[in-house]
Amino acid sequence: MVQNVAGGKAKPVEEEVITEDNVFDKPDETMGFFPGQVLKDGWVALFLLIACVVMSYAIPAPLSEPANTAAVDYVPRPEWFFFFYEQMLMFFPGYTLIAFGAVVVPTVFIVLMFAVPWLDREPVYSPLKRPFAVIVGVLILIVVVLNMLLAVSRIINFPEG
Amino acid sequence: MVELQKDRITRGDFLSFGFIGAVMGAILTIPPAAFVLSPVIKTNVLGQSDVSQDWQMVGPIDDVPDGEPIVIEVDFPIDQIYGNNEVQEQFPDTQKSNEEFAVRSAIWLSWQDGQRPEELQGINGSLTQEQRQLAEENLNILSNICAHLGCPVRWVIVEGEGEFLCPCHGGIYDINGGYIGGPPPRGMFRYPVREVREDGNLYIRHEFDDEDGIPGLTTTRPHVV
Amino acid sequence: MVDWMEDRTGIVTQLEHFLYEPVPKRGAWLYTLGSATLFLIVLQFLTGILLLFYYVPTTDHAWNSVYYIMNEAYFGQLIRGIHYWSANFLLAVIGLHMARTFFSGSYKAPREWNWITGVILLLLVIGLAFTGYLLRWDQDGFWASVVGIKIGSYSPFIGGYVANFLLGGDVAGPATLARFFAIHVWLLPAALAPFIGIHLYLLRRHGEFGNQFEYTDRLAKLHEQQRLEEYARYELDGEEDGAEEDGRNGEDRENGRYSDRE
Repeated sequence: MVQNVAGGKAKPVEEEVITEDNVFDKPDETMGFFPGQVLKDGWVALFLLIACVVMSYAIPAPLSEPANTAAVDYVPRPEWFFFFYEQMLMFFPGYTLIAFGAVVVPTVFIVLMFAVPWLDREPVYSPLKRPFAVIVGVLILIVVVLNMLLAVSRIINFPEG
Repeated sequence: MVELQKDRITRGDFLSFGFIGAVMGAILTIPPAAFVLSPVIKTNVLGQSDVSQDWQMVGPIDDVPDGEPIVIEVDFPIDQIYGNNEVQEQFPDTQKSNEEFAVRSAIWLSWQDGQRPEELQGINGSLTQEQRQLAEENLNILSNICAHLGCPVRWVIVEGEGEFLCPCHGGIYDINGGYIGGPPPRGMFRYPVREVREDGNLYIRHEFDDEDGIPGLTTTRPHVV
Repeated sequence: MVDWMEDRTGIVTQLEHFLYEPVPKRGAWLYTLGSATLFLIVLQFLTGILLLFYYVPTTDHAWNSVYYIMNEAYFGQLIRGIHYWSANFLLAVIGLHMARTFFSGSYKAPREWNWITGVILLLLVIGLAFTGYLLRWDQDGFWASVVGIKIGSYSPFIGGYVANFLLGGDVAGPATLARFFAIHVWLLPAALAPFIGIHLYLLRRHGEFGNQFEYTDRLAKLHEQQRLEEYARYELDGEEDGAEEDGRNGEDRENGRYSDRE
């Protein structure tokens, strides 16, 4: 187990012989959560807050016309993080496939996501040593990104927006 | 740390826990569930609707042109929460909101295949029984809610041919609302309950030609309007 | 004063325990993604509470009240802007946080529950994003919600129930907005908070060192040492058992690593 180092400063360790038993006893180099990590977290938080403030005035939060169920010339578009899902809906026509693609596949995906720790039980951590998990992860990323790009191009190319 | 004291659970204790759990469980789950699910119970189980089932006037059928559809907005009064009719009637003279709530539906009207029947050309004045029946049979009364995922469909002219296009995922329907292409599973929703009255006005009720999707698995309704 | 607080609450020890825990130095910037998520969620809670001072969840007033916030209320544009933009950033940061966790294998034993609570949090945030969109009662939010409700209506067996549950009836109207409001403002945040607590508690319990990455130098030293030993033995014994030894070593290392974590 990692030993708590009182006072936040690591004592200089005498030259230690690393064996298979103690290699994971402590990591390479640590720092105290405070101030080291807290400071880094603080910088990121500050950056995000400033980004939010700048964006609030640069691109104000949108508010389009009041909702109208009787619209005929309005083009509904999802938020960007649903683009890939929305694009996938294009590929599933008809009753069976819509139910399959829009509901069943995402549900199965969510269940698989919960099961990830049990699907990949190999006690190795490095991405290089578990190619299968990494390939699956990268494939999912590629599918998501490609679908997002397809959705964006479809939205851009839609006549009269 | 205080030492833990693990007393044995007697039969009486066990039954008492069971009783407390059952009573509290029943009071804290059944009424809240029914409270939250009451719309589901009313609509899905009892088959009631929030929408008024009265006849609503759409407009004069003489306005429906040849070869292309027109869109007409119809307000169907609805009865939800603060728009509930009985609630609205309480203390009508105070500042309390009495606003009527309605779901505004865009309805596409067109003649069958875009052709107005001969007998209905240049109608004015009152219609005969035959003319009214002919009009009822030959009018397409379509909801603007796409049968795929509910986006509002529009009328577009592509290479000289008119068609209904859904802007979301590219569902295409013909002038009769029939399915042509894209992901929708069926044609546009129609209002089958219709009546053309003697003065030449079209009236409809809020009903749709629901159909089974995958029999036993899914049904389709416009759901939103 | 400090002593008195310590005696009555034990807070000083707790704080020291909390603040001076050793954390990885190598991947420090990677590990800010989680705290960034937490920060953005806190921003959501704060600005969300503020928006409720003016927002009215009725179909005839919702749009007006949002318009008022944007154009009349002091700093309304900023408060709603932070709510909107931090929600967008939140989803992006959660994506990065998940990708980091996945590719570094940080979900492995004993951290299964960290991952599971993480997935639950992700689903809750997606639910919040979906329900929040309708509250403006503008065209964008309304039609996106229509599509969402229609997707729900295709669920096998329960489609009609799902759609009418979300609509609060069989058409979109006052009940729909009231429901989405209740879900967005109370139900999901109330569910979110305890899972954040569990997620953080588990993080503290199992520590941040879930990744071989943090042991790179030590592992390199070990391998170097083993290689030297191997070499020495090879010199002494002759050629035959070199490869075999190597395989066994690797296995041992991983087993040792695994039991070490329990």
